[in-house]
Amino acid sequence: MAKNNLTRRQLLKTTAAAGVAGTLFGPWKHNRVYAAGTDKPIKIGITSDASGQYANSGASDRRGMQMAIAEFNAKGGVLGRKIESTHIDTETTPATGSRVAERMINREEAGFLIGAVSSGVANAISQVAQKNGVIYFNTNSSSPTESGKNCHRVKFVWDGNGANFAKAAVKNSIDKYGDKWTLLTNDYVWGHNTAAATKTLLEQYGGTVEEEILVPQGTRDFSSALLKIQQGNPNVVAAAIGGDDQKALRQQVAQLGMGSSPAWINNQQDWPDVYGLPLDNLFGVFGTTWYYKLDLPGVDDFVARYQAMYPDTRMRVPGNVFYNGYMAMKNMLEAIERAGTTNNIAVIKELEGHKMSAEDRMQHHDAWIDPDTHQVQQSIYLATAKSETDDKDDMFEILNNVSPDDVRDTGAAAACQLESYDDTPTFDA
Amino acid sequence: MTQLVPHIFNGLTLGLLFALIALGFTLIVGVMEVINLAHGSLFALGAYFALAIIGGSWLGDTAIGEWWLALPIMPRYILALIVAPILAGLSGMVLELALRRTYGKAPLYGLLLTFGAALVIEELIRLGWGTGEQNLQLPQSISGAILLGGLIYSKYKLFAAGFAVFAIIMVWLFLEKTPYGAIIKAGAHDSEMVRALGYDLARLRLLVFGLGAGLAGLAGVIMVPIWGLRPHVGIDVVIPAFLIIVLGGIGSFWGSVIAAILVGLSVGITGAYAPAWSMMSMYILLILVVGFRARGLFGKKSALEN
Amino acid sequence: MATLSDITRRSSQWITPQIFVFAVFLLSLPLWIRPIGLYQYIGIEIAIWIIFALGFNLLFGYTGLHSFGHGAYLGVGAYAFGLFQLHVGVSLIGGLLAAVFAAALAGAFVACFVSHRRGIYFALMTIAFGQVFWFASIKMHGITGGEDGLLNIPRPDLNLGVYSVSLSGNTALYYLIAVLLIIVTVFTWRAMNSPFGRILQAIRQNETRASFIGYEVWWFKWAAFTLSAMFAGLAGGLFAMAQESAYPDVMSLHQSGLIVMMVLVGGGLVNFWGPILGVILYFIARDVLGSITETWLLWYGLMFVVMVMFKPEGLAGVLAGLSKNSAETLNDLPVKTAEGN
Repeated sequence: MAKNNLTRRQLLKTTAAAGVAGTLFGPWKHNRVYAAGTDKPIKIGITSDASGQYANSGASDRRGMQMAIAEFNAKGGVLGRKIESTHIDTETTPATGSRVAERMINREEAGFLIGAVSSGVANAISQVAQKNGVIYFNTNSSSPTESGKNCHRVKFVWDGNGANFAKAAVKNSIDKYGDKWTLLTNDYVWGHNTAAATKTLLEQYGGTVEEEILVPQGTRDFSSALLKIQQGNPNVVAAAIGGDDQKALRQQVAQLGMGSSPAWINNQQDWPDVYGLPLDNLFGVFGTTWYYKLDLPGVDDFVARYQAMYPDTRMRVPGNVFYNGYMAMKNMLEAIERAGTTNNIAVIKELEGHKMSAEDRMQHHDAWIDPDTHQVQQSIYLATAKSETDDKDDMFEILNNVSPDDVRDTGAAAACQLESYDDTPTFDA
Repeated sequence: MTQLVPHIFNGLTLGLLFALIALGFTLIVGVMEVINLAHGSLFALGAYFALAIIGGSWLGDTAIGEWWLALPIMPRYILALIVAPILAGLSGMVLELALRRTYGKAPLYGLLLTFGAALVIEELIRLGWGTGEQNLQLPQSISGAILLGGLIYSKYKLFAAGFAVFAIIMVWLFLEKTPYGAIIKAGAHDSEMVRALGYDLARLRLLVFGLGAGLAGLAGVIMVPIWGLRPHVGIDVVIPAFLIIVLGGIGSFWGSVIAAILVGLSVGITGAYAPAWSMMSMYILLILVVGFRARGLFGKKSALEN
Repeated sequence: MATLSDITRRSSQWITPQIFVFAVFLLSLPLWIRPIGLYQYIGIEIAIWIIFALGFNLLFGYTGLHSFGHGAYLGVGAYAFGLFQLHVGVSLIGGLLAAVFAAALAGAFVACFVSHRRGIYFALMTIAFGQVFWFASIKMHGITGGEDGLLNIPRPDLNLGVYSVSLSGNTALYYLIAVLLIIVTVFTWRAMNSPFGRILQAIRQNETRASFIGYEVWWFKWAAFTLSAMFAGLAGGLFAMAQESAYPDVMSLHQSGLIVMMVLVGGGLVNFWGPILGVILYFIARDVLGSITETWLLWYGLMFVVMVMFKPEGLAGVLAGLSKNSAETLNDLPVKTAEGN
């Protein structure tokens, strides 16, 4: 541990001393010296949702992280230190995210934070994390703003985002289905961002937007929108509908048998959201970052490890959310190992620009962490529902894979401004 | 105009579904003057019971289990449609027993108790059935699409709307044409009188609450194939139900049915012309109506105003 | 046993011994919050929510108007504070005044519609307006940042003329909020013991009678609503400062329901100090239970149900029962009956 660094405790004390408190009561001693010895466990705060809209995905995310932690602990930990984790429910609510982050950092003394499905929660956590210099991994929120205007020096984004998926899908679909498009957009920030990415691409490749139907968040009945789509009769409908709204839409499209005509382009479908549902719920073409039946080395072994560790889980095979949680945690621990220290700045520098081989990622292309946006640039897969299958776990048919270079989110790179290293408090966890 | 007709038709079906959702809520408010905030949780509970009955996985690998799953979906679905609401009704009766302690106090306490119960039921659903999205199987004959005037409609939705009409008429007949209904209505107006006539008021309330909870469960079984099934699905129910009874006027059976259809039409038609405002339109409708008519469209004076 | 009405007869002092003890408790908190296993930030949140709850109880407990959409004014205050910092200028006083003013405006507007209503219609109208505000905050994402919220709101320094104090640390911010909370406590205590407060309580006990006596009931209900919205706005402004963001979620029905739950569990209907106890209990229960079990809401919900059934006077009622002869307090509720009117 580097002697010349401020520890976070000292930092907090300095800030406090600057305030009224300091002048009235003076700095006080804490009974625990933070991370003084190298034999102390490395504490990781898991901030995934356990209640609210994303409770189910949050649980999957968490299982991924815990498998990675268990594997590292079995090898003797990192830098000779055991890895410990604490989980607190972020309730799919940003305000709770802030509080949980404060608690994790100040009370649990977590040196690293990881976990998110909702972009609002991820934002809230990363603001607190940045203020304290604590590295935070956003595992599963696919909002383009996460690595765009809301990026932070301490935050790393592990999922593919809306823009990546749109890029993977649009050109292909114009060629295949036609250029008359209707956009079905959830009327909130994520929906608008995703729709904007689609519109730009449509212009670029010669498609036209016939109509954009905005549906408010919380819509449970899509019949008027589906009637309008029938009346307009487009070639393709690009849907940016999220959360529970998407689940209702899925159900209603399936009932109408409208899943194949017109052609539907959906954003990412998270595995925990679709697992166990009838296949006609998986209408149209959608994106994913990983699938458990990819024909690549290591995948079968990964699935077997999942099944051995979670024999009682309803979800019999791992999906993209689990995968992201696992990969993020694994890479966090490897970065600490490579850095040879838990110093946050050293670990950040180790992560920025880091290349991950296709083999390690169990994907088709090499991936890397973009040093300018902190988003992992990775392979994107387009998939659709498997038509003939007896295996009820095997729901996706992977249509193609697209390399990270072809789906790079240039909008995010333009919007993101990372804080400087000097503005990021430094400490050893 | 030809563009509009399908949307009006759609709004009408939507309104009937809203009426079904509000039915049990209206009954309990109208008769017992209790605002049942657990309505949404009982709605979800009914749907989960139906899921358990149709899926039958709790029967395990026994002979009965195998026999049950070998049956076609239709009889299983019909059984679920009957038994699941009954189970939800029984759960409602348990809740009513707890609710008794709040009788005679301000209506606020009943409302708060059911709010707490809603949290508890939702958490119990999570423990029992998990947090993930589930699917309620339907018989072939009511799933799929139907072509009407060149446009595709969901067969199931038409079935659900028809079923809503059936349920509304049955409840109305029960209240108007049976002796039980007469006693229930009498209890709503003058509980002393009912007691004086020698009826057991406690049992009457238990029955009404059970019936209301059963109707919530029934609405759950019917609506979930349209909305999808997850533990917090009930959240989407309470607000429209609330809105509808206030719009229609507390204590008025037909008031709430008409209000539901108005809400359906306003959501359906804004859905065609300004879809981004379709959800907001319900609230604007409420503020407009209640701003001018303090007790909604057909409301009478109620103890809940105090 | 104590009811809210009893208190009015007891005291019209500005500072009572209880308020003094509470102030000492608040100001000494940073000294012992860590040793008891908590952290400074939760102290901030608790103090902010107490401001919100005290203001809310003016309406809920004292006037007997059951608003279920009060989160909206907290949210309006938070956005107003944030927008002021981001677009007008970084100023603590300016931001807080903007928060209070915006919430007062929103509250006064809604109060025009709802103060002619009673009971359940009142509650439902507040829900409807609450939903409209919540909806608008998501829809007007150009201004509010939509569901992601308004982010990176600066924490302005406290400018005391001669020198300014940085509030970037949580302890410093806590002291500011604690001082404001003490002022709010003194003010609400005094207001509820003033003639104005007595009229509000008379309205709760019997609105019709109050109007027969000659009070403009409508005006008093309007004033109580607006006043409590102002406190919500102040709390919202401070919340935006604490989180350095403003989010739409605080305006949702769920969050508005939570403040009702906290006030009731604490015993806001029977005791001035009830809301304070309720907020403290809720945050500590959530923080402690939430880190032990994922089903903490089940336990909290059960506790709430049992409380409504057996001890609707809440925690304040329990404490009063412990300190007095318990036989006196059982089943003797100070709430009016449904048939009583």
